[in-house]
Amino acid sequence: MARKFDFDPEDEEFFSMVGSFGVPKFDNEMHGGIPRGFTLIAFTDTGSGSELFAKQFTSPAEESENTLYVSTNEGQAEIVRIFQKYSWPMDINVRTIGEEYNSTVLERELLASRYRLEGFQLADIQRLAQTRFVDETNQDYLTEVTNEIMALGPYFRAVVDSLDFFLQREDPARVVAMVRMLQAHAQLHRGLLLISVSTNGLDPVIKQELSSIADMVLSFKVRTIGTDFETSMIVSKFRNAPENLKILVFRVTPEEGITPETVERIA
Amino acid sequence: MFELDQRIAEQLTEVALNSAVQVRCGNSNAFMVTASTIIPLMQMFEMGGVYISANRGAVEIIEAFESIGIDVSKIQFIDLVSSGILGGTDVPYSNIHFVDSPIMLESVLLRTLYILRTTTSERNFVFLDSVNALAIYNEDRILAEYLHTFINTFRQREILSVVLNVPDQTPPLVLSNLDLYCTDLIDRGQVVIH
Amino acid sequence: MQPAAVYTRDRCVTGIHGLDEILRGGIPYGSTVLAAGTCGSGKTTLGMEFLVRGALAGEACAHFTATEPSVKLLENIRQYAFFDMNMVDSGLINVFDMDVLYSWLGLEKASFELDDVHALIKAIVDIVNTIGVTRLVIDSVTTLCYKIKSEQLIRDFLFTLGKKLATLGCTTILISEITSATENAHWSSFGVEEAIADGIIVMGDVERMGHLLRFLQVVKMRGTAHSRAKHAIELTPLGVMLTPMLKWGAQSDKTSRWGS
Repeated sequence: MARKFDFDPEDEEFFSMVGSFGVPKFDNEMHGGIPRGFTLIAFTDTGSGSELFAKQFTSPAEESENTLYVSTNEGQAEIVRIFQKYSWPMDINVRTIGEEYNSTVLERELLASRYRLEGFQLADIQRLAQTRFVDETNQDYLTEVTNEIMALGPYFRAVVDSLDFFLQREDPARVVAMVRMLQAHAQLHRGLLLISVSTNGLDPVIKQELSSIADMVLSFKVRTIGTDFETSMIVSKFRNAPENLKILVFRVTPEEGITPETVERIA
Repeated sequence: MFELDQRIAEQLTEVALNSAVQVRCGNSNAFMVTASTIIPLMQMFEMGGVYISANRGAVEIIEAFESIGIDVSKIQFIDLVSSGILGGTDVPYSNIHFVDSPIMLESVLLRTLYILRTTTSERNFVFLDSVNALAIYNEDRILAEYLHTFINTFRQREILSVVLNVPDQTPPLVLSNLDLYCTDLIDRGQVVIH
Repeated sequence: MQPAAVYTRDRCVTGIHGLDEILRGGIPYGSTVLAAGTCGSGKTTLGMEFLVRGALAGEACAHFTATEPSVKLLENIRQYAFFDMNMVDSGLINVFDMDVLYSWLGLEKASFELDDVHALIKAIVDIVNTIGVTRLVIDSVTTLCYKIKSEQLIRDFLFTLGKKLATLGCTTILISEITSATENAHWSSFGVEEAIADGIIVMGDVERMGHLLRFLQVVKMRGTAHSRAKHAIELTPLGVMLTPMLKWGAQSDKTSRWGS
């Protein structure tokens, strides 16, 4: 028998059946927003504005303590700068995996190459002789992130930007399994989950699997038109609402961030 | 009242530290002969020592000594019997060391040497009880070779070795070798039954 | 005519009861000795006692442990009366966990390439040189060599390491894990260690009527005459003790006269 979760009627009224994208014009195009419980997978091209969109997705932050932004590429300072720039809520939970990885693993690698090149000094040897255990360098970020999202309560909002970090370091099957688990969690708790993954070098099989798990599939594209760039978001899957499949061309403005310009319905 | 054979003590007064004494006994007087040998060594000559028990478990020997009022807590026992009995090594005495089997002859020798290295006594003896018990498990040639090594090892270290033996239960090859290696003989092998 | 002067190499006196007599005074200084033994044969204890005896004589010693964590090794070795934890605390005996060393050198990988092997040699030699180590134990070289996939690379590793340590006057025991210590067995897992080592000490068990007796046998030691007989050993709280194994009981049952 499927698990059932009882939601407070007051909460149901407060959160309503749909949540915002963080981009009002997108909400309008999607007939009010994203149904609660949806997992969105965004396949992204480099320079297509997906990182900004990922941040903007957290901006509605209905409950800041129940909102999580996981970045695998950017540092805390850069994220804060963007949030400040657009006046998005700053009190949400932010995890910067890339920064953590750099400060532990990469720093260690740097030190290792110094030892290999220059050798050990007496102080290094004394420290080595007193070190009984290996520092846990192989931190399981995948499990940590999964657990962190699974710990969020009903009506949560979470973003993982991007899955590439995990796909490059872990068994892809494990990563897909994690996405599947998170999708189930989002569905059960009426959460909104956005996961971005770069299309560069992405295995078509993994792409296919992720697409089938997702409730909504977005593709962020960029192309050049003359001397200009055109960025667009293609909604290629919207569970139970094929009428929402669209191509939304957008630009980035200093006031609103992602701002849709034209909309084209996919036949 | 338990009566010791005083003549054994008298004979022992003439024995040097680097001697090897063969003590012959019969089945029925084995403990009397053992006690008559050990007690003077401990009390008259104030020696420490190692008792190697291949005949009976060390607990039984300690209890036999205690029953005649002799404290053997200063003697270290190497028990070659009790490891072969389930639960046999769970004993209330801290002066008992166990070797798995009487066939592990080298281990017995090394364990004895180890104990002697840790002992505080200036003069020590090693009492082997008994050659005929070892002969049950060990083939003639290895036992003869062992006794040769055993006796010479302790003679070289000025440790008195006393080897208990029931002659009619000891293979002839071992017996003749023992006669050859030992410097002294205490013969209580002929028992007169009154 | 005057008799030619007899040249004898200086010795590293192991201090292990009986072993120095077998080696007629000790291991020639700077030798790399393979201590090859089956599991439970006393290799680690022998290696540790070798270091402790050196530390007691004021020598700086190093132990690289790859088979068990140093915490466990030190806990196990504490039961021996010859060992004093102060030797470790005061830096006379330096115990290094190989996995920590691997991690520091970025060698947390399944197999080592040439660069990695060179990095490892450099690290060990650096340690020996910096703290003036005169006695070194690697426990075990088998575990270490499992990461080196090519036989040629293993040979290079051991040869270069041995040469550099000899130059520094460091006497080294490389512990090697073998599955059998019988006459027909190899004394190393990869076959190359035994050819490169200056000395080989084999440790194993003789089975006698269902009981295992530990033995030690020096089969090779360059630079010294030595006994090649099997010696029974006992691991006592005072350390390793040896006595010649009885000739009539020096072979396992299957080859001895007790066999069927």
